Amino acid sequence: MPILSLKHISKRYGAIQALSGVSFEVPKGAVFGILGPNGSGKTTLLGIVTDVLKADEGSYSLFDAPPAASLRRQIGTLLETPNFYHYLSAYQNLQIAASIKQRPETDISRVLGIAGLANRQHSRFKTYSLGMKQRLAIASALLGDPEVLILDEPTNGLDPAGIAEVRELILQLAQSGKTIILASHLLDEVEKVCSHVAILQQGKLLLSGPVNEVLAREDFVELSAADNRALETVLSRHPAFGHILGRSTHLQVVFKQPVDPAALNAWCVEQGIWLNHINTRKQSLEKAFLQITNN
Amino acid sequence: MLQIIRTEWLKVRSYRAFWVMVLLAVAIVPGGNYIAAEITSQIQQKTKELIAIAPYDFPLIWQSMANVNSYMTALFAIPMLILVTNEFTYRTHRQNIIDGWERRQFVYAKLFWWLALGLLAFITSVVFAVILGLAYGDHGFSFEGFRYMWYYFLQVQVSLAIALLIAVLVRRAGLAIVLYLAYTMMVEQVLVLLIKRKIGEVGGLLPLQSGDELLPFPVIGKLIGTGDRFDDSVYLLMLFVYIALFIFLVFRRMLKTDY
Repeated sequence: MPILSLKHISKRYGAIQALSGVSFEVPKGAVFGILGPNGSGKTTLLGIVTDVLKADEGSYSLFDAPPAASLRRQIGTLLETPNFYHYLSAYQNLQIAASIKQRPETDISRVLGIAGLANRQHSRFKTYSLGMKQRLAIASALLGDPEVLILDEPTNGLDPAGIAEVRELILQLAQSGKTIILASHLLDEVEKVCSHVAILQQGKLLLSGPVNEVLAREDFVELSAADNRALETVLSRHPAFGHILGRSTHLQVVFKQPVDPAALNAWCVEQGIWLNHINTRKQSLEKAFLQITNN
Repeated sequence: MLQIIRTEWLKVRSYRAFWVMVLLAVAIVPGGNYIAAEITSQIQQKTKELIAIAPYDFPLIWQSMANVNSYMTALFAIPMLILVTNEFTYRTHRQNIIDGWERRQFVYAKLFWWLALGLLAFITSVVFAVILGLAYGDHGFSFEGFRYMWYYFLQVQVSLAIALLIAVLVRRAGLAIVLYLAYTMMVEQVLVLLIKRKIGEVGGLLPLQSGDELLPFPVIGKLIGTGDRFDDSVYLLMLFVYIALFIFLVFRRMLKTDY
């Protein structure tokens, strides 16, 4: 059963097409990343799913059923910015969230503890720093221990320790079997925690599927010799030669099959080229992402 | 509905500014009427032969209080405007839906305040009418003319519905308050005068004026009243029509718009 199923969702803001015909499914138990640059439509998409925005076209289902408030109450959501009553304390704000979600108030202390706000729970929201506000929003999403979480840029405003904590928390929640939908423009965040990913660009879905397939990255070998031109000519005759990825101080060569550096070195010697540098590397995530979005 | 009311209670329970505004609105009822009672009792003492019953004596007190209070309705609308625009300022209207309210439940929550503040104005008026009537009057307690209190109640509901509609359309507290005060204190009065002069009595059917037409000040109102006004039932009907219309527009706005 898919937790969330989107069918041809489109949304326009005046002249801007925020989403055009986006369809994908989030399987149960997945940590599903929605990846895309700022303004690609991630928050708009999650806004539609949480009924704060109305789609112009298309439909979606939650838990394989038509969307309803009772289903939204089973999802812990952090959308865009933390939205709380400024004149109330963290605890009082979570009382309101618990009341709407129809969850017991006894859970408030637990989630404030997870978010590291237990000591400041009776301070007014307006006295909170940006990071603390974000932590409170995460606490609110966790209220009632929902089976599904929607987290839109959850590490926004957090310091490096906070970012690491939230990532650890997401992994722990994923291991406990929860389904997590995570929107982010941070590639490594998605790669570190997600099992599946959908890539959006200018409102269009470019790719979606398991993260290893969508963000597949080529291994390449960095090589250099006294004469890199001669080296390139020789390498092009190698039986596993794929293509040249880059030419700078070193040649960056992609092979069709994995090659052993020692064997490659020996092969080059046989061809009369003496290597002065050889290193096997993985294409950077940014490059892989740019390749997808540029194509 | 109880869950909605409980949630709204949690929102205002510790909101000091809200309670100060409500307290002021309640306090102005005895305050304003005390002044009016003092003045009218002095006038009445000097013109005993002309006016047999004091306006702040039973049975006229219901009408007098309803009339005087109708000028102070805005004080009950301010907390309403603040509560609703706060939701947009803090974007908590969005969060309430995200957390699991239907959009219509968000409107119900605000309609709860619409009714609660109206009832508060009504009950405050009734309580202080009894107190002032017994303090200033020579006649015994009577419910004669109590209908004016119901007219007042309906006028408050129209006024609060205007405030609610402006709040959901404008979304910003400052602008909403200015627009509301401008409409209730000036724009409608000017329109009423213009329409009455150019077209006729139909000018008396504007939202707040419909209530005013039902609430003339005793004795004086009759002296300056025009002869060709509509029947009271028409004004009464218009109050219900306006309430239904404004609430319909609030629902339409909140159910269809992006949050």
